[in-house]
Amino acid sequence: MAIARIAVNGVAPARRRSQLAMAWGRYKKDRLAVVGLAWVILFLVIGIIGPWIAPYNYATTNFLTANQGPTWQHIMGTDNLGHDMFSEILWSVQNALEVALGATLISFIVGVALGLWAGLKGGWADMVVMRLVDFMFAFPTFFMDLILVTKFGRGMGPILFAIGITGWAGYARLIRSLVLGMRNGEMVEAARALGATQPHIMRKYLFPNVMNNMIVALAFGIPGDLTVMAGLSVVGMGLRPPLPSFGNMIAAAGSNMLGYPWLMYFPAGIFALTLLAFLFVADGLQEALNPKGGF
Amino acid sequence: MVQALLTVENLHTEFRRAEDVIYAVNGVSFTVAPGETLGIVGESGSGKSVSVLSVLGLLRGTGRVTQGTARFGSTDLLKLKRRQLEDIRGRDIGVIFQDPMTSLNPTMRIGDQIMEAMLTHHFVGRKAAYNRSIELLEEVGIPDPQTRFRNYPFEFSGGMRQRVMIAMAVACEPQLLIADEPTTALDVTVQMQVLSLLQKLRETRRMSVVIITHDFGVATNFCDRIMVMYAGKVMESAPLEEFLKRPAHPYSVGLKSSIIEVGQTNRVLLPIPGTTQQLTEPPRSCPFVDRCTMAQDACRETLPQLRQLGGADHWVACLRAEEVVRHAG
Amino acid sequence: MGVVRFLVKRVVSIIITTAAIIAVGYSLMRLAPGSYFSSTTIGSQMGQLAVQNPRLAEQYEHMFEARYGLNEPMWKQIFGYIWHLFTFNFGNSFENPSAPIITQLRSAFPISFELAFGAVLLAVLVGIPLGVLAALKRNTWIDQMLTTLSLMGNAVPSFVLAVFMVLLFGVWWQGVLPINGWGQWQDAVLPIIALGLGNVGSITRYMRSSLIEALRQDHIRTAEAKGVKYWPIIFKHAMRNSMTALITVVGPMFAFSVVNTIFVEQIFSIPGMGSLMAPAFQADDYPLAMAEIYILCLLVMVMNLLVDLGYAVFDPRVKLE
Repeated sequence: MAIARIAVNGVAPARRRSQLAMAWGRYKKDRLAVVGLAWVILFLVIGIIGPWIAPYNYATTNFLTANQGPTWQHIMGTDNLGHDMFSEILWSVQNALEVALGATLISFIVGVALGLWAGLKGGWADMVVMRLVDFMFAFPTFFMDLILVTKFGRGMGPILFAIGITGWAGYARLIRSLVLGMRNGEMVEAARALGATQPHIMRKYLFPNVMNNMIVALAFGIPGDLTVMAGLSVVGMGLRPPLPSFGNMIAAAGSNMLGYPWLMYFPAGIFALTLLAFLFVADGLQEALNPKGGF
Repeated sequence: MVQALLTVENLHTEFRRAEDVIYAVNGVSFTVAPGETLGIVGESGSGKSVSVLSVLGLLRGTGRVTQGTARFGSTDLLKLKRRQLEDIRGRDIGVIFQDPMTSLNPTMRIGDQIMEAMLTHHFVGRKAAYNRSIELLEEVGIPDPQTRFRNYPFEFSGGMRQRVMIAMAVACEPQLLIADEPTTALDVTVQMQVLSLLQKLRETRRMSVVIITHDFGVATNFCDRIMVMYAGKVMESAPLEEFLKRPAHPYSVGLKSSIIEVGQTNRVLLPIPGTTQQLTEPPRSCPFVDRCTMAQDACRETLPQLRQLGGADHWVACLRAEEVVRHAG
Repeated sequence: MGVVRFLVKRVVSIIITTAAIIAVGYSLMRLAPGSYFSSTTIGSQMGQLAVQNPRLAEQYEHMFEARYGLNEPMWKQIFGYIWHLFTFNFGNSFENPSAPIITQLRSAFPISFELAFGAVLLAVLVGIPLGVLAALKRNTWIDQMLTTLSLMGNAVPSFVLAVFMVLLFGVWWQGVLPINGWGQWQDAVLPIIALGLGNVGSITRYMRSSLIEALRQDHIRTAEAKGVKYWPIIFKHAMRNSMTALITVVGPMFAFSVVNTIFVEQIFSIPGMGSLMAPAFQADDYPLAMAEIYILCLLVMVMNLLVDLGYAVFDPRVKLE
């Protein structure tokens, strides 16, 4: 097959498309993954337009309507400061997405860069990167996040940066092993034996293979970062109020639960469903892109 | 004629896949007499392993037997419940598999694995099982058996592991030993050692042996009778002498001329053209027809049945068998 | 090859890793602007003093700096601090200067350890049977249900589960199980379930896939050919291999549970490491925060070391390196 792809270069794009179509065919069969995808898309849309459709500003307080259950004015009720929970949630979606996507992107870029460097260069570069990876894996990085957030503050930027900069090790290790596996793999050896150039091998063999694995890793990474972000709030080091976030709402709900349970239903419920949706998508992608299972 | 030990009749086995069905065995019949060694020869994918594993209920995945009988003594193995079959496997029928690297449990001491065969069937007590394991290890040619008893498979070479497999298979003194490609995964020098070990055990125990191989040389060196399979069907079956003298199927002739025999230096090797294919529907005409040099229209229209050739104990599934014999002879 | 050599190597690497964490943590906190005096108790008093008597305030500040070694060069401070933590000399916290940190940790650590350990134990006890069930019934509705449920357990973080449980047992089934405090064994039930459900999911999924994989191995067919019965094949042959590798799953799981105890303790008001850590970070109480992080990192690393040792003991093929 390797030979055929080199010889008939023009066929490659068609093949690639049909592979995508096949992956989509496999994905479609997983009903939960499709439902998850719908929710994720809705979440993304709300992340973009949320602030415009929110009936109140996230910082608007009204003590006259504090701690109200769901009414037509406040369909998800209000908290102890009179914030409209529905609006809070709409804003939170945007914050959550910005932090999670941004942090995942940082981790991803750092991880891919270091992993590629280690895998392609080998030698001391590989050793340095792998020692760093070992270091990051040796202890829970959440503690590092805490330290970084303490140092740089509890705004969007610092939190995004802290989560991003501590989460790269998994990507680096994954991409390095993929690169090494491919570099020493028989398919690449065959291509090299046929005289394929280094960039050609990278483009035609490394990239597509690495892509599938990376998409799956990213899909698992986003809900992970959402969880870390909310976890920071639970220990009181999340986004500084009045910036709304799921973690803050859940942490606050925990203490007000007995009197005002609606403060918990909506944020915790929506947050849990969102994480589930992301994970179902990730799981579906894994099955669709790596049908033999696992990476 | 003596009562046969194993009689398989009209065996059909298929594997269900997501979209289609692979017809792996399509009406195979054979017998194994007590003390006889049967060699089943064929290319990979010809259904030779599957037909024997079907009989023992050892099919993996979606494989299942759809038709046929397999009488072992007086019982039909294919009608037994799982538990009854478990009692026969290992006690009355021993099996050796192809790849000794993966066929032993990597996390169990080899001695325990040999003992397990005996203890499962209450063949002997624990103490006796230990002593017998040591004896067996010695018998299959493993030096220092007391120490080796406590070793794990990864501490053995391929040939040694195959010897352990053999010790395990014959531990309960089975009447029938099935060897599924026993030498394929081994070095050539080790192959001969393992074969002669099998030969020795066969003689001291007078057991019947079914050896499955794609190596024609192994079969001719070792067997009393040769059965050639192709596309899940028996092509030809005859005693060794007869088979070598008068091969009656074009495929058998092809097999014979595609191997080198010792001392022949100037012969041209004649490969059989084409390759085998997986059958997604049961064959309706001679499955070999597309690769056969003697194919006629008739071969494409009918499915040749196994028939006796000239009154001898020589069975062949070819419309033109007589011509083949005349031609080759 | 020596277990001793392996141990020495690993212990050295643990020391280096912890030292690096401490160094990074210390320098970040030390360089945080004005942070040493922003903790509430000391900070407010210093602020008052600065207004009333600026010169005295400055003197005090110098006294403090000398007292805590803050006027030394940075590298000296870092090494000093690493040494202090390694010798479990944590000093006193800013917030609660009268009680040494070590006494606070001494009562808090066992609680968090019990919770994390309980969560892993729960996962193993429940996850293994569920995983085996899913594997043996693979591609049936039971398998489908278990796989989906375990994915859900994985997805929902412990603190969300904890909040749901407070709702469940605080509002709907009031009085069935206690939802806060620590003291009697019932107090541990809900936190351990909240912590453990995700782990149960991981182990179920792991066990399912590894058992399916194990049953596909050639040596399983060999055992079948020997006439070994169905259940002995599952337990003696197939699961044995999955179980040894399970140890490698348990290591990271323990680390994960340790982090999650922090959240769960917050929600169930349990006086463990977590309930010390959150206020420590919120109040910039660095000595306490760093001591906590150090202890928990150390716990995770020692656990990982034990896991690797255990793996080598259970799987004869594994060579320690």
